[in-house]
Amino acid sequence: MDLEVNGSPAPAPDPDTPGATAADHIRDGLGLTGTKIACGDGVCGACTVLLDGSPTVSCLLPADALPGRSVTTVEGLGGAHPVQRAFAAHDGLQCGYCTPGFVMTAAAFTDAWRAEHGDVRPDRDTIADALAGHLCRCGAYEGIAAAVAAACAGEFDTEPEGEPPRADAHDKVTGRAMFTVDRAPEGCWEGVIVRSTHPHARIRSVDPAGARVDAGTGAGTDSAPVFVDLLGENRVVRYVGQPIAAVAAPTRARARAAAEAVRVDYEPLPAVLTQEEARAPNAPELYPSRNERRAAPSYAEGTATAAPWRGNVRGPFTLRWRAGTALKRLRAAGRSADPRLVAEEYTTAAQLHTALEPHACVADWSREGALTLYMSTQAVSDMADAVAERWDLPRDRVRVVTEYVGGGFGAKATLTTDIVASTELSRLARVPVSVALTRAEELTDAGYRPGTRTRVALLADDRGDLAAMSVDSYGDGGVSYGSMTATLAALMYGRTPRRTRDYDVVTNHPPGAPFRGPGAPPMAFALEQAVDTMAHRLGEDPLSLRRRWDGNTRRRALYDRVAALPLWTDRPRGERTGRFRRGVGLAASNWLFIVSPRSKVELTVEDGVVVVRSATQDIGTGIRTVLRDVVADRLGAPPSSLSVRIGDSTSVHGSGAGGSRTTNSMGPAAAEAADRLRRALREHSPRVPASGPIPELALKEALASAEGLRVVGGRSLGRWERMSSLLSGGGDVAVGRGLIGAVHVMEVEVDTLLGRVRPTRCWAGIAAGRIYSDRLARNQCEGAVVQGVGYALHEERRDDPVTGTVLTDNMEDYRIPGLGDVPETEVYFHEEGFEHVPGGGVGLGEVSTVGVAASVANAVFDATGWRPRDLPIRPDRLIEGLR
Amino acid sequence: MTTTRPTDLGSALTELAGTGARPRAGGTDLTACVAHGVLAPAPVVDLTGIETLRGIDWRDDGSARVGALTSVHEVSADPRLGAAYPALARTAGALATPQIRRTATVGGNLLQRNRCWYLRNPAFDCFQTGGGSCPAREGDHLHGVVVDQGPCVAPHPSTVALALVAYDAVVEVSGDGGAVAERPVAGLYDGTDPSRDHVLDPSEVVTAVSLPAPAPGELAAYLRATGRSRSEWPLVEVTARLVRAEGGAGPVASAAVAVGGVARTPLRLPEVESSLVGAVPGAEPGAGFAAALDGLAARCSPLPATGYKVALLRETVRAGVERALGFARA
Repeated sequence: MDLEVNGSPAPAPDPDTPGATAADHIRDGLGLTGTKIACGDGVCGACTVLLDGSPTVSCLLPADALPGRSVTTVEGLGGAHPVQRAFAAHDGLQCGYCTPGFVMTAAAFTDAWRAEHGDVRPDRDTIADALAGHLCRCGAYEGIAAAVAAACAGEFDTEPEGEPPRADAHDKVTGRAMFTVDRAPEGCWEGVIVRSTHPHARIRSVDPAGARVDAGTGAGTDSAPVFVDLLGENRVVRYVGQPIAAVAAPTRARARAAAEAVRVDYEPLPAVLTQEEARAPNAPELYPSRNERRAAPSYAEGTATAAPWRGNVRGPFTLRWRAGTALKRLRAAGRSADPRLVAEEYTTAAQLHTALEPHACVADWSREGALTLYMSTQAVSDMADAVAERWDLPRDRVRVVTEYVGGGFGAKATLTTDIVASTELSRLARVPVSVALTRAEELTDAGYRPGTRTRVALLADDRGDLAAMSVDSYGDGGVSYGSMTATLAALMYGRTPRRTRDYDVVTNHPPGAPFRGPGAPPMAFALEQAVDTMAHRLGEDPLSLRRRWDGNTRRRALYDRVAALPLWTDRPRGERTGRFRRGVGLAASNWLFIVSPRSKVELTVEDGVVVVRSATQDIGTGIRTVLRDVVADRLGAPPSSLSVRIGDSTSVHGSGAGGSRTTNSMGPAAAEAADRLRRALREHSPRVPASGPIPELALKEALASAEGLRVVGGRSLGRWERMSSLLSGGGDVAVGRGLIGAVHVMEVEVDTLLGRVRPTRCWAGIAAGRIYSDRLARNQCEGAVVQGVGYALHEERRDDPVTGTVLTDNMEDYRIPGLGDVPETEVYFHEEGFEHVPGGGVGLGEVSTVGVAASVANAVFDATGWRPRDLPIRPDRLIEGLR
Repeated sequence: MTTTRPTDLGSALTELAGTGARPRAGGTDLTACVAHGVLAPAPVVDLTGIETLRGIDWRDDGSARVGALTSVHEVSADPRLGAAYPALARTAGALATPQIRRTATVGGNLLQRNRCWYLRNPAFDCFQTGGGSCPAREGDHLHGVVVDQGPCVAPHPSTVALALVAYDAVVEVSGDGGAVAERPVAGLYDGTDPSRDHVLDPSEVVTAVSLPAPAPGELAAYLRATGRSRSEWPLVEVTARLVRAEGGAGPVASAAVAVGGVARTPLRLPEVESSLVGAVPGAEPGAGFAAALDGLAARCSPLPATGYKVALLRETVRAGVERALGFARA
């Protein structure tokens, strides 16, 4: 019996594939890759299709239940459904990986709603109910809610005027955007990683169980599985889930069987699973030798700071500014029980990046001596450099392709296991090999924001000014180190005497990775609550205290806005009673201004169109759009006259997406390229003006006569920018003058009986200079609030205390926020203060999330009088705290 | 590995009898269980072709018989069912996600496997997968039971069961050779048996759920305590149904309160139920109710990490009952 897919008969699944799901058949069997698989557990909704008209998660639908049914996928929706237009127009998307699933449910909901209610806007709760089976990790919920409401109101029954704000919106709402996991080159094999089942063990031997360990004789002549070792010289595994080897075979099922057949002989070693165990006298050492310590992984972005080791403790890395004075004052205040001394301890949990597209790479050595890699990375140029170096290839024999990336958030910027394994396996197999992590692997061994324990001490003097500060933080990054939490506190609240110390305590857990503002959210959670506590001790409004203490001029401009903000001025005062209590909290955010001086943009004239190229990549943050907008604006040409092609390392060097640096690096490079193009076009056509918009006809004429013209613009270092030794980033990172600021005002409603915190409204003030693409920047800042709310309330990796195995290795147990969990968010941009920077604007991806969790915690305190010391603020903790 | 799709119950029972094959309804949980190694792959008998297991029949006394393949969504959205059995409809409308409610069935919901993260992680063996211990009891059981009935500490997963237990509903079960047996929904579960989540064999099929005649003017509420607002398994959940005297116009004549998330089986709370007799809709329930709530602590035997559920159980029941009564606390 056949099935019907998108209105046409389609082949039924092969009955001989046990366990296959409808999603597998739709993607692999029918090639309809608009349907995405993310969680595999029916939680996130990325795989939603219409089954006989009803939204259905195809990852939990057995493939053999399909025959006789009618399926509509995103491809079958066309591209002109009002919901698709609305998602594009309201920018209800970022990376686009969850978008097809959202669109399918939203389309069914909108059609049903209008049939029942007419063209009426549903309220936000109704939309949240309808979309309760969908999760967006980028947090594009503001745009999604607006899009669904507008589509229901009949605002998108015809194609809207003008382009959508996001250049690639159409490809994303139609499912046409190709992600790495959608790539299946002809003859591609699948690879599977063999991982440690012990928290700490010496590997005596690994038996490939008949899989081939050397390169065969020719492409495709041998279909036996291939095997590669991934451990290298150090034959010790230090966490459950550590990669040991990898195998590949022509099909996923055969690769899994080959992986299960591999026999690993472990000699178990004593493991340390908690911070306390690791610090105990005579605790087993993870890294007993100097060489092992040197080889230990770092979760720092760039080069880790230098620090000594003592057993399993690394550190401190200390920053001092009149530290002796600070300590003397703090100790004296402690001895005299000075009420102006606030000394508190805070902890945060491990937060998993949870990009909906897992780490994935398709490696292909099939061109002789050359390597092509499709990879889900946030650093195309850097990865091409790193691959060339690791496999000893000339740079021009390496090609990295990353057209679309389903989220990264910091975890996709290094040569991760998927890349190494697929590359090694393809070399042996002599065919392309794809390695994509399963959700369980992704949530176990793809990095996380390490947990922290942070002690803050603040002392105010008689006038209520800050007299001394001390911050000590202990990073809990498993086998890795790289804490910057305390160090980042040194950049806050002026130049009062202070000392900050960062430590790491290593344990037998997976390694962390940089995650959006590394170190800063836990720093803010501790410091901003301590400042809040101080305000209460001094009997002062928390805003007024910050206006006195915080010397950052850009943030001061934001405080001025807050002072006139009804959300702040009309907040409830005094003790609150009853079951539901409202509160409003405030927190400041800080981040560095970082730039990639190697960034370049190439413009060529091809078929009368300007093609914009660079080996940068768009992980949902919008650089494709920024490049289009900058070049179009600079030339005064319509965006439709441009074509942007990024994500290919054969183009000129592009910035990696990390350190909030892509826009402020690529934007000026694009502007310079556009200016060069204009000068070159003037040589072809005198009607092109020296400045100002180029008239449409003049541009057309000039382009017609300039076929093949090529110019390159760059982002050289500005006067106030210096190369950084601390942040390496492939020699492509400089730190600029001026700190980026943000202030979040958060309103919550606390259900004091059932222990739930509901963020209701948020004002996000961002001071990052000139904004390049307004709607996209807002979307990113709205998503930063979503991720911060997740960090504050829901997200927490949990591990088995006996083995260290990650228990939250699925998206049911690892909980990210849905539309119904996030506040209605208003973003305000303060656009002054970075006039010294080329382009006038800096990055906002990280600063926009730093203080969110702190603002939630301060709001919970305001509502209840109970101060959350530990993240996440779970119901059990709240119930305990309010008892 | 085959899947068959018989169109009549007799064939399905024959194909299930002693063959090692598994019955499948919506397949949402079975698919996940196979993917996570909870269940080894086995032949499947897909029941969805058996039309007689689908839909809602109404008897002369006004009572309903709900076919086992009726989707959870249909139960939540059917107007007549919602009017007759509001506690069932509200409960069904609150579980999982909209997509899953449309695929999942009443029968499948009753017989799904529990959500313990050790059970669903192939790295661990436990009583349910042939092992001899409960790694959650010694390990991380933050979401575990607070009424400890036996070796396994995973709370009962079926939200639909709460409502059905509150109605004293009966399941019809067909077994080998077509024998039909009726048993109370509560009888599907044995909290002291750590090896399985329900007592039926794979050769037995739940064909329907029978409800008693509806009570006019029944007041009902369902409430779950969770961290997020939607689509999360409950820490504690409650279904409350209040039957009113005077043909549905008077005070509460009898009450049924069932809770989940707290024990290996759905629990009725008779002491809370009896305390509600005489309660007046729209008004705060009396001191007897408060005392019964406080008494719930005595039922609890928390694990090291589930002590918070003692208070959460009390408050969830309080909030659920007050919602059913239409009493809004400040």
